[in-house]
Amino acid sequence: MSDDNYKKSDPKIEQAAASDEQIQEVHSVLLREKSEPSEGYSPIPLLLLGFVSTMIFVVSIYFIHNRGGFTSGIGEAAMIYDERFDPKLHRPDTGVVKVVDPMVVGKRTYAQVCAACHQINGAGVPNGFPPLVDSHWVTGSEERVVRILLHGLSGPVEVNGNVYNGIMPAFGAGSAYNWDDAKIVYVLTYIRNEWGNEATAITPEQVTAIREADGARSTAMSADELLALP
Amino acid sequence: MNRAPLIFLGVFLALAFSWTGIVLTNQVAYGNLTPIYDDAEEKIFPEATPGVAQRGQLVYQDLGCIYCHTQQVRRLGYGSDIERGWGERQSVPRDYIREKRVLLGTMRTGPDLRNIGARQADSTWHLLHLYDPQITSQGSVMPPYRFLFEMRKIVGEASPDAMNLPSSYVDGTPLPPHSVPTEGYELVPTERAKSLVAYLINLKDTYAYPETFNVFPEEEAEAEQSEAPAEEGH
Amino acid sequence: MASALRIAQSLDPSTSPTSVSRAELSEIDASTKAPALFFLISSVLWLLAGTAFALISSFKMHTPEFLGDYEWLTFGRVRTAHLNTVIYGWSVNAAFAVAFWLMARLSRSVLRHPTLLFVAGAFWNIGVSIGIFGILRGDSTSIEWLEMPSYVTPLLFVAYALIGAWAIITFRFGKSKHIYVSQWYILAALFWFPWLYSIAQIMMIFEPARGTVQALVNWWFAHNILGLWFTPIGLAAVYYFLPKVLGKPIHSYYLSVLGFWSLAFFYNWAGVHHLIGGPVPAWVLSAGIAASFMMVVPVIVTSINHHMTMVGSFSALKYSPTLRFIVFGAVSYTLTSLQGSSMAIRSWSEVTHFTHYTIGHAHWGMYAFFTMVMFGSIYYIMPRLMLKEWPSAALISTHFWATSIGIIIYVAALSIGGVLQGLALNDVENYPVFMDIVELTKKYLLSRSYAGILITVGHLAFAVNFAWMLIAPRAKSSTAPTLFRNPSSMVITR
Repeated sequence: MSDDNYKKSDPKIEQAAASDEQIQEVHSVLLREKSEPSEGYSPIPLLLLGFVSTMIFVVSIYFIHNRGGFTSGIGEAAMIYDERFDPKLHRPDTGVVKVVDPMVVGKRTYAQVCAACHQINGAGVPNGFPPLVDSHWVTGSEERVVRILLHGLSGPVEVNGNVYNGIMPAFGAGSAYNWDDAKIVYVLTYIRNEWGNEATAITPEQVTAIREADGARSTAMSADELLALP
Repeated sequence: MNRAPLIFLGVFLALAFSWTGIVLTNQVAYGNLTPIYDDAEEKIFPEATPGVAQRGQLVYQDLGCIYCHTQQVRRLGYGSDIERGWGERQSVPRDYIREKRVLLGTMRTGPDLRNIGARQADSTWHLLHLYDPQITSQGSVMPPYRFLFEMRKIVGEASPDAMNLPSSYVDGTPLPPHSVPTEGYELVPTERAKSLVAYLINLKDTYAYPETFNVFPEEEAEAEQSEAPAEEGH
Repeated sequence: MASALRIAQSLDPSTSPTSVSRAELSEIDASTKAPALFFLISSVLWLLAGTAFALISSFKMHTPEFLGDYEWLTFGRVRTAHLNTVIYGWSVNAAFAVAFWLMARLSRSVLRHPTLLFVAGAFWNIGVSIGIFGILRGDSTSIEWLEMPSYVTPLLFVAYALIGAWAIITFRFGKSKHIYVSQWYILAALFWFPWLYSIAQIMMIFEPARGTVQALVNWWFAHNILGLWFTPIGLAAVYYFLPKVLGKPIHSYYLSVLGFWSLAFFYNWAGVHHLIGGPVPAWVLSAGIAASFMMVVPVIVTSINHHMTMVGSFSALKYSPTLRFIVFGAVSYTLTSLQGSSMAIRSWSEVTHFTHYTIGHAHWGMYAFFTMVMFGSIYYIMPRLMLKEWPSAALISTHFWATSIGIIIYVAALSIGGVLQGLALNDVENYPVFMDIVELTKKYLLSRSYAGILITVGHLAFAVNFAWMLIAPRAKSSTAPTLFRNPSSMVITR
């Protein structure tokens, strides 16, 4: 067979020019293949049908139990994000203030915010961020520690014999964090009583009083300023 | 027998079923949620996003931050999002209605960012973290975004934006020389870096909408228990 | 079809019915040659590009400084480029070629005006190229599975519409009265894709829905691309090649029917399980979980049907490359689908959601199932299009072992790493510091890169064999199929 035949992509031309034998050679790929697929007609096993029915049943029960207000209309259901919600059991926000343990909530906030610098174990980073463990700034005067958090602290500060010179951001009113009294109370109470520290808990009243006394302060405290406080 | 029309009908109905159920129904049910006016605070929630933060969201999209960071907080009792401090409550659809593109994400190679502005509001930290994540978070697998910063010659006065890099990482290894500006040069964030940071700092869902209380009552009870023992007077 | 009869007569003076149908197939195959080759060559090129992007992003996951200074290759972009190349470049092109070729054969219809398809294919590939370029330069939409910038949407849509219409025309003018199960799947897939694609484009990009309705549309689309486009095409290929290579009928028509309709009605609700725990109405999620669970039905039914067809012929796996790839794919389909259903359970999703486990699952489905089935199909189709044999059995063997071992390591590493990651994420007491969780996953991410290298070796073997086949001259005499080994007694076709 000449090469010309192969170069032509049009099958009809190829066929017209080819002899019986040549076609047989070219189509050996095709000739050896098995016949086109077909289907058998084995019946569906009964067990399988039973399985399908069970699935439908189980899944329906699941949906009914986790419909999250679907039966009261899609508009209402669109406001419900807890699948176990049940209007009969539901009580709307009663305004009851939850009583919480500051050591638990404070730890959560500490781990997320403060630990970035002071580390989760409160040891700080040498030459970087001061430790909170066994530090008189933390366990000492309540007046000072509250102000450090409210207004921040900048400039050199001596902690356990080492001098640190960094910036502690402010968390009080007007700062980017703008923490409320409760959050400040939780975090401070936590750091004053963790890692072997032992000191009194901070109360919301103390924080409110200091906020009122200082008014709107926008500059960070310095160590000297703090030491002047009782 | 020609079954083709029958097959087509079935095929059509199959997809029509979920299209109606998932897409249309929900578009009707909560596709036009509106912001809520709070009388006490005299403000509308969610608050409008500042322009610079909107531009920052575009940077967030183009860099593909969504592939490692989610922006959704799961409810108390499901996962540990709230315990981790990623938010104070679960996220609800109303939190997202101001956003042109909702970037919930499906991957937490890095932490959730829905309330990153509430837990890290310091733009200097964010800029350092973007410039070289190893500075603030050694061991992180986050890529550096040095291309969002410009190393330029100081002409006249130094820029107020100039970055103040530490001399070494937390473990004491010095920063690679090519990422520290040499004498007479300064490192400044580009507009894109600044708007990205503005976007991140603006990410916080602090307002509690009425629907955030639509939870199963046992959940509240459990939550109270987990935070016990209660101590009066704090 | 007069010409078919003419060839048949030339083949055998007695003109048996088999030889008539063989001659007809020959003519049909020849008519699909130009467009099918075009799609296949494009798909192999995209596969190589996608593999390169995959390796880069995998390395970046454990060594973030790797190529860290190139904005175009930052992780968020190169990972997206990987997904879009392998999905819209490799998988869709391969799916087009296989779907067409199967459709023409099963409908017993020559492809009319193949040049038009060629043009549509060119449009599609230009669209994908511009899209990938757009993602790398920073125009990504950051909508998962729909990242290509909106300026390529019209191009892709027109190309798709043309290709879809052509397949339906091919079906409409076919001579076959019986509609084989593969055809149901292909027809349904061709019809579903444009619906999903256009709704997603409109409701997410051109006229975005408000709030998290977008997220619902996103996952309705993204999961259905897998379930209502790739899965049907993959299953169509399995349903064709299993009986074809073995030379015996599919076990049960009734099981095929049950499997098809249960897939059609349950799969399309399943996608919202990607939002479990998220800010969308609880009832939608529960419905999605219920549907994901019902997916056990089509999966079990289909796997029984395939398994019963295979029973008694497992030894053929020793010889036929097509069969081995297809069976690997079919088994993976069963396993990954069952895994998918389990991942929708709320308490299990609480652990695996947001972790590398999901990435492992996605690759098990898209690679170990779909891609392997496509490889098997290509090994069968190419000799029919080119009328010559695969040049090297060793390369096919390398391809099979490298990719199959590679993907098993890949899935295992990410599954273990993902579960550990998920457990740690939910355990604030023992893992209060996020960096410890990152540390925990690193060695699994590194193993994933090694698996990636192995898969790359397989792809290179495949690409070399493919290119070699394209340029090698046709044998002068009749040839034997390239098999893993030569069968002693039984005669196996590829």
